[in-house]
Amino acid sequence: MSSGSGGEPDAGRRGVLKLGIGALGLGLAAVPAVPAIGYLLFPTGSKAGEGAFLPAGKRSAFAGAVPVRVDLYADKVDAWNKTPDVKLGSCWVLERDGALQAFSTVCPHLGCAVDFDAEAQKFKCPCHRSAFGLDGSVEAGPSPRPLDSLEVKEENGLVAIRLVRYRQGVAQKEPV
Amino acid sequence: MALLDWLDERTGIRAATRLMLEEDVPGGARLRYVFGSVLVFLFMQQVVLGILLAFYYSPSATDAWASTAYLNDQVTYGWFLRGLHHHGSSAMVVVVVLHLLQVVFAGAYRKPREVNWWTGLVMGAIVLAFALTGYLLPWDQKGYWATQVATGIMGSVPGGEPLQQFVQGGPEYGNLTLTRFFALHVFVLPIALAGLLGVHLLLFRKHGVTPPDLPEAELQRKTQPFWPNQLFLDVLAMAVCAAVLVGLTVKTHGAELFAPADPASNFVARPEWYFLFLFQLLKYFQGPLQIVATVLLPGAAAVYLFALPFVDRAKSRAVRSRWAVLSGVGLLMAAVTALTAVAIVEDNNNESFQHGVEQAHAEATRARALAREGVPPVGGVAVFDNDPEQKTRNLFKEHCATCHTLEGKGSEEAPTLDGFTSREWLTALVRNPRDRRFYGATKHNTMEPLTTEQASDEELAAVAEYLVSLSGASAAASVDAAMVARGKELWDKKLECSSCHEVEAGKDSTGPTLAGRGSPAWVARIIRDSSQKDLYGDTAEMPKFADKLTQEQIEALAQFVATRKTP
Ligand code: FES
Repeated sequence: MSSGSGGEPDAGRRGVLKLGIGALGLGLAAVPAVPAIGYLLFPTGSKAGEGAFLPAGKRSAFAGAVPVRVDLYADKVDAWNKTPDVKLGSCWVLERDGALQAFSTVCPHLGCAVDFDAEAQKFKCPCHRSAFGLDGSVEAGPSPRPLDSLEVKEENGLVAIRLVRYRQGVAQKEPV
Repeated sequence: MALLDWLDERTGIRAATRLMLEEDVPGGARLRYVFGSVLVFLFMQQVVLGILLAFYYSPSATDAWASTAYLNDQVTYGWFLRGLHHHGSSAMVVVVVLHLLQVVFAGAYRKPREVNWWTGLVMGAIVLAFALTGYLLPWDQKGYWATQVATGIMGSVPGGEPLQQFVQGGPEYGNLTLTRFFALHVFVLPIALAGLLGVHLLLFRKHGVTPPDLPEAELQRKTQPFWPNQLFLDVLAMAVCAAVLVGLTVKTHGAELFAPADPASNFVARPEWYFLFLFQLLKYFQGPLQIVATVLLPGAAAVYLFALPFVDRAKSRAVRSRWAVLSGVGLLMAAVTALTAVAIVEDNNNESFQHGVEQAHAEATRARALAREGVPPVGGVAVFDNDPEQKTRNLFKEHCATCHTLEGKGSEEAPTLDGFTSREWLTALVRNPRDRRFYGATKHNTMEPLTTEQASDEELAAVAEYLVSLSGASAAASVDAAMVARGKELWDKKLECSSCHEVEAGKDSTGPTLAGRGSPAWVARIIRDSSQKDLYGDTAEMPKFADKLTQEQIEALAQFVATRKTP
């Protein structure tokens, strides 16, 4: 029974050793742990970007007040993959008072894709029963804000739409 | 035995085995003690199955669906192993709940077993996290959309957005979402669960089973050894569980695999059945109250369970003295069951949901059939490019859409092909051939418009009817014979169209022949070489595709173009 702490002459030295073990151990753990934090947080906080105007077809395809669903294509870079000309998303386009109006199909509630119910003349979300009028306003269900309208541009009879994704589940429309 | 002696001397294996198996079960072996062992079995089976799946699965947005479809539909017994893994996760959730109920009923969360109760709760949460992360991995429509809702919820709670981005690996779903979910599902969660399981088992051995509430003497008298009395019951229960799983897997022919995730599609997203209660809860709390359903109520339930050892102030473990705690947990279970039932009933009565499900199944079947030809490396959705019609569409896009429009897309360097076999197209052309919609942008802009003085609208309609009748057998069936006769007469006697256009096959002229115009055969000839004497002759500008495309490709394109209906 030679070991002991307290008043033994070695006690001070052992205290230093214990401290050393702790400090070195922490240091060893920090070698992967510190970079890991940045590594794992890596793309977080990056914005999806402004969103470019994407061709949506001819103006003549959208005559009339019946919403038309268009898919928008562009080149897409997803981390290390670049895929040319893929479907990035879609939107509902309709004519209101002579002007084109586009709504994102992404439900502002939690992101399901919104359908158009021709009978009821409403946009309806299949997930939690949000319903929206032709002007995009919430008529029923949990959606915290109207359908997200997207910018529409017309040039030489061609329509282009700026595809932007907005934060879901919040009352104000903020791009992600 | 000599070998065992040799080994024992060096490892102490006998003592270790004894340590593991020799334990008294006071009050005797009981069926209701089996749930923990069944969970250990299920977890180990999930690990083995998961490792097997990883031999074929590839976690990237471009490969995940394709590799899952391959694993499921082409690899020997792939469907079975994947199905077992899928149903195994449901089984784990069920047995976790049974285990929890047994522990609550027996009062086993009470002093001195509080820490074991907490490790158990955390493991239960990990089982749910397994389910959530595993759901996305096939990258099919169902997993994609259901997980969107889950991460959407995360992002919608105050301060949750950074967490959502962290889990997704950025603002949107993609490769980084998959690699993250994969790393969590196959490394982080299993290691965490295994570690906690070790602690849980050690603590269990330290405190032993919680015996029934009987007098000490009786417990002593009825004591049985764990090995083999309780273990037999445990293994029996595992076997029953495995039999149910195999039966279920065979009956459902494995797990569903829906069409590849398509961010631009509609899908009737529903979570896995054991999350339906949360899904249903969400419907009752809207707008600013949503947080009640997503955080407050589930959080309160979790806090209640964690605090159970302190909530329970009863003097003894007797069921009678703990009615408050027992009814609290009972109420919770009843609420979850009721919400789940309502969710199912609502969906069953929801026609558009049922319709959506049908569509989803049809699409899944189509996608998986096409996947057998191999999925193009651009990603799961590209499987639809294997579809003959889609192949033709892609050909059109590549070779024709640079000049022609079809279905509203393409250029106006050459006549639009939208409805070009229709009466409307023909009459509009005749009235205004130099419009950009027709030949305005081409060298073939030499045709003179036919004015209303030369032919009234009504006369023109008859001529158009006559031209449609020339276009081939299928068109001839739909024409109005009287109008055709009238049109032919006008053509022969009154109008001057025939100075440029032939209506008999094989005769050359300055304008394209109208014999068979718009039929697939006629279109195919144009595609091959539009500069033939009886077609566009010197004014032809269209490239000759005769040696750029194969015979089949040309025929498919011609068929495709000629049979498009007017949009
Ligand atoms: S996602 Fe549309 S209502 Fe919930």
